[in-house]
Amino acid sequence: MDSVRSWLRRRIDSVRSEQRLRTDGGTASDAVQSETGTGLRRYLDSDAVESAPFWLPAFLLVGLFVYGAIVWNVVISLTDYEGLGDPEYGSFDLENYRLMLQETGSYSFTNAFVNTIVLLVAFTLVCLVFGLVVAILVDRDIRFENTFRTIYLLPMSLSFVVTAKMWLWMYSSNGGFVNRALGVVGIGPVNFIRNPDPNVQLAAIVFALVWQFSGYAMVVYLAGLRAIPDEHFEAARVDGASLVKMYWRVVIPQLRTATVSASVVLMVFGLKAFDFLRALYGNDTPAVGTDILPTYMVRVAFGDASRIAYGSAVAVVLFALAFSIVLPYLYSEYRRGAL
Amino acid sequence: MAGLSGCLSGLSSGDSGPQPLELLHAWSNGDGAAAIEALFEGFQEQHPDVELASEGISGAATQNLGSVVNERIRNDDPPSTWQNWPGAALTPYVDSDALDDITDSVWSENDMESAYREGPKEQAKGTTDHFVSVPINIHRINNLFYNKSVVEEAGVDPTSLSSPADVVAACETIATETDAVPFAQQTKGAWSTVQLWATVLLADAGHEGYRNFYEGNPDREAVASALDLVAQLSEYYPSEASTIDFTDANNMVINGDAAFIHQGDWAAGAYPDDFAYGEDWSYVPFPGSDHSYQLNMDSFPYPANNPTPEATKTFLRYCGTKDAQVRFNKAKGSIPPRGDVDPSEFPQFQQDQIEDFGNVDHQPPSIHHGLALDPEQRTNVVEAISAFIGSYNVDSAADEVVSAVQ
Repeated sequence: MDSVRSWLRRRIDSVRSEQRLRTDGGTASDAVQSETGTGLRRYLDSDAVESAPFWLPAFLLVGLFVYGAIVWNVVISLTDYEGLGDPEYGSFDLENYRLMLQETGSYSFTNAFVNTIVLLVAFTLVCLVFGLVVAILVDRDIRFENTFRTIYLLPMSLSFVVTAKMWLWMYSSNGGFVNRALGVVGIGPVNFIRNPDPNVQLAAIVFALVWQFSGYAMVVYLAGLRAIPDEHFEAARVDGASLVKMYWRVVIPQLRTATVSASVVLMVFGLKAFDFLRALYGNDTPAVGTDILPTYMVRVAFGDASRIAYGSAVAVVLFALAFSIVLPYLYSEYRRGAL
Repeated sequence: MAGLSGCLSGLSSGDSGPQPLELLHAWSNGDGAAAIEALFEGFQEQHPDVELASEGISGAATQNLGSVVNERIRNDDPPSTWQNWPGAALTPYVDSDALDDITDSVWSENDMESAYREGPKEQAKGTTDHFVSVPINIHRINNLFYNKSVVEEAGVDPTSLSSPADVVAACETIATETDAVPFAQQTKGAWSTVQLWATVLLADAGHEGYRNFYEGNPDREAVASALDLVAQLSEYYPSEASTIDFTDANNMVINGDAAFIHQGDWAAGAYPDDFAYGEDWSYVPFPGSDHSYQLNMDSFPYPANNPTPEATKTFLRYCGTKDAQVRFNKAKGSIPPRGDVDPSEFPQFQQDQIEDFGNVDHQPPSIHHGLALDPEQRTNVVEAISAFIGSYNVDSAADEVVSAVQ
């Protein structure tokens, strides 16, 4: 360890001395370069190699344990590994992916896939709309603005395990808040958690997640709103735009970046709803309307039957899904020069 | 963490004498924790020389424990033994030759072979023809517990019921005569409903029909009929059934807010002292199933490549003794799998269960608790029943349940 440290110090010193040379005048250092300018030398002196001690260890560790694991997962999904033995890498095929599409029964892959998409889209859209409305309200110079902001954001700081238990109470037909509120307008009590209609089960989960994460959308939008110069508001007002028109024509179009980044983060939160469902139903088989790809994957791979290869194939689909959400975002950021 | 400690003990084993016996279990709280503690105490009294390292892996019943054990076995680093359902639940371990034959080394001692009852002995073999595990307890699944004052208020005599349809009728009476919930059931998790359906199938289709189901020759009509009875019973669940736990449902019976609860006999273990057996609560075998004692058991399998072969065998031998089974089952609220244990060692309810066990014709394995079906079939049945909860659509559920075991 000490030797590495002293070596690093020497390297840094030498870089510094080179820099000092350069500040004296470019010609001198150019001359040094051209004297020792073999290919290898130049390669060793390049920034990438010189800074390698700083980035290489982390790069290798992340490469191995994150990207290596992803690649390995894809490989396992092509085998037929299940049970307690070792995977056999002799023959690869797409059997697992074919099986996915062929699954029948209530808890099929298709069911989980459709539920996942519906959850992601519905959750993200409702969160954004709700967050935007609240952000606009909070932005209107109200009293106790900070307090309200904190109150709206607070649910996000709670763990899924806590909010799952809380929503069980909220949805209870025996004094639960939601059913009490519905009772006032003469509806219910409604059995949300095990509703005969799977869509209602999913809607109940989406509603709970929106409660937890719309605060995040609000904060992102609030920052976006604060970034819009006051002149835009004033100019719109001078032009005689109504309040609604001002927001619709002037403010919301300028929130595009905030919307994109908030929806990416929200979708990733949505993919993580696994924790919430696991805590809510207390085991690895949630109600049929709320079975999403993560819960499905864990059940097939780590459940009693240990169908590891099939679970890996589901994980690959999930990965592709997450990737297809993040990639366009990264690309658009790159295009805008923000990356 | 378990994997890490396994690595560490593996590293240090070279120089620091014999490894401790490592037992993984999910009995981290309540009656289970008391039971395993009592068992360890008895074992250490008789074998103070064996060092014991047990680790509780809790969460989601035994699901987390199962993942940990599977991972350890895949890494060729099995624990000395662990808590596992016997019977078909051992199929994956048997299929991958992960369990060793302990017929001679363990089962030949302490009269275990002759003293164990038939059902548990069968289950102890997993799916092989030799012994691979030692069952430590028996829970009965087909019980119907009831709050006496509630059923008396409604004028229902549970001992006179003789079929699941009678239970439905009794629930109807209780609903009209009292304010109490007739049938305390939780539907948040699917497990209580899987249990209930399996018991109703046993009661409705008889032992033969039940066996045909788990042996892979299901009769769709019998399956549908049992599902239909469960759907009828669901009318009498608490309104908040989908948001409560089993303990909440059980508390409704204790508090007099509910009349019946169908559960394994661990439900009785939760009844407090001032809720007395015989006076405040009682039970009957689930009406129609009094010919059978539907088994749910825990056992300790003997893994191949055992890190502590001798110590593990010593421990398993001890688990097969009367002393161990009295200690464990008294605390757990279950009954011993040995038939020669003196019942008077136990509280009255367990004495009655032991007597019942002696009188039944059949000892069929439970479906939800892993004994009857191999893990893949079991998962399919649980999923089919889980989809059934809520919609209670008998036709589509019957198709799925039937195809789950075919």
